[in-house]
Amino acid sequence: MNDEQAKIKVTGLDFFYRDRHVLKDLNVRFERNAITALVGPSGTGKSTFLYTLNRLWENIPGARMRGTVEIILGGLWRDIYAGGYPVTELRRRVGLVFQTPNPLPMSIRKNVAFPLKLAGNRDRRLLQDRIEQALQAAYLWDEVKDRLDDDARTLSGGQQQRLCIARALVLEPEVLLMDEPTSSLDAAATEIIETLLVALKRRFTVLVVSHYLDQVRRVADAVVTFPDGTVVSNSTEPR
Amino acid sequence: MNRFREKALIGVSWACGIILSGIFFFLVAYLARQGAGVIDLKLVFGETPPLEALLLRQRVFDGLFPAMVGTFLLVCLSIVLAVPLGVATGIYMAEYAGARVKDLFNLVFDVLAGIPSILVGLFGFALAIFLHKHFSNRIQPCLLISALALAFLVLPYIIRTTQAALEGIPGETRLTALALGATKPQNLFHVLIPQSLSGMLSGLILAIGRCAEDTAVIMLTGVVVSAGVPTSLLGPYEALPFYIYYISSQYAGPEELLRGYGASLILLLLCTTLFFAAFLIKKRLTYLALYRP
Repeated sequence: MNDEQAKIKVTGLDFFYRDRHVLKDLNVRFERNAITALVGPSGTGKSTFLYTLNRLWENIPGARMRGTVEIILGGLWRDIYAGGYPVTELRRRVGLVFQTPNPLPMSIRKNVAFPLKLAGNRDRRLLQDRIEQALQAAYLWDEVKDRLDDDARTLSGGQQQRLCIARALVLEPEVLLMDEPTSSLDAAATEIIETLLVALKRRFTVLVVSHYLDQVRRVADAVVTFPDGTVVSNSTEPR
Repeated sequence: MNRFREKALIGVSWACGIILSGIFFFLVAYLARQGAGVIDLKLVFGETPPLEALLLRQRVFDGLFPAMVGTFLLVCLSIVLAVPLGVATGIYMAEYAGARVKDLFNLVFDVLAGIPSILVGLFGFALAIFLHKHFSNRIQPCLLISALALAFLVLPYIIRTTQAALEGIPGETRLTALALGATKPQNLFHVLIPQSLSGMLSGLILAIGRCAEDTAVIMLTGVVVSAGVPTSLLGPYEALPFYIYYISSQYAGPEELLRGYGASLILLLLCTTLFFAAFLIKKRLTYLALYRP
């Protein structure tokens, strides 16, 4: 993969959690507007690796890392650890969806509006439009449009996860990180999320941690195996 | 654990719950039975017309009204003094303190929580003497000194419950707002504190209860048998727990003792009202922080 195709470049990445050397000299590139699946045995640092792409690990006591991570943000290559690029802005551009659906204990509307409000958007009209767009992009609008002020925790597991995806999408990120997004969902909810993933790659670069090889075959354009970071092209079939 | 042991454990747990609930209901029922009969306007206002007493036009000499007002002011003032400091310290302990500082402070707060209240009362008394000697001879054991001493007494409860409520938030929830671009203070004020309000409320209820019942502290710091409705923070005052203590140790006949039961029931109702107010405030704050469209 050449520089023009790449969206993310990781060079010489080492990650330590307390005394454990979790990631060792990882060198890997990720293609833009593609779904890359991160696979490998449990405990090999796949989720941790996602946290290095938005610097979320910095909020975990006992964690440290060294190495370089460059991402194209706003059309320019940015070394996200070199300083000068605010971490809050980075996290708005590199969205993360956690393994377990984790809606905040507030209404559906407030959940999706939450990141926009954090970023200082107060215009009610703009908020309403962006909420609707994000919920539509996450295939959730039709199911919740009449109950936006209900507690988000009353949604089903699959709906909650799509709400979390909508909450990440509302900021219009450039990269979307997903940590086993279907691990706690049933088959029907998983199918919806997979369809959603394939649709999202037209707009975003998607990295998804998955333990399900069938799922990887269905949705991924490339596969990175952990802990070594070997890149495997998945398939040439159009998706 | 085999099935029999598990069932036995569940049975013992149920029994403990039932016994404790039974004791609680027995106490309340006993108090209600003894005290309800004597609660009337005369017990509260004595011979003073209620309206005149409520408008503070006439002093109540032989009723509980001054003690009720004194207790209410004492609890509110203590809570107002203790909550900001306690909550701020709890937030610091949970979110900002390093491991070594946290270990040290946890030990200090645990020791503080175990200090007998009579020692806190003595500390308050010493403070009053110190202030009287070095700052102003107007300062003496008074409502403010009592409130300060009680605030000091309940601080560890508020600190520890705030800390526990914040530390109990799951790791992914803690990271959710940060992953969406929140700063640490935004995460604290928009997610962590609103989610901890229930836990914090437990600390507040414990603190209200402790402030309302403690007699040892106020005996040394400003409460008297007869002072009327407090008109100044720097004056002596009356309080229900001291009245109950005084009447139960000095009563001249069964009728006077029954007035003590009436005062106990009123104290219980006052505490329940304050608990309910705290619950409503928590509910309102949760709505404003999390659900308001």
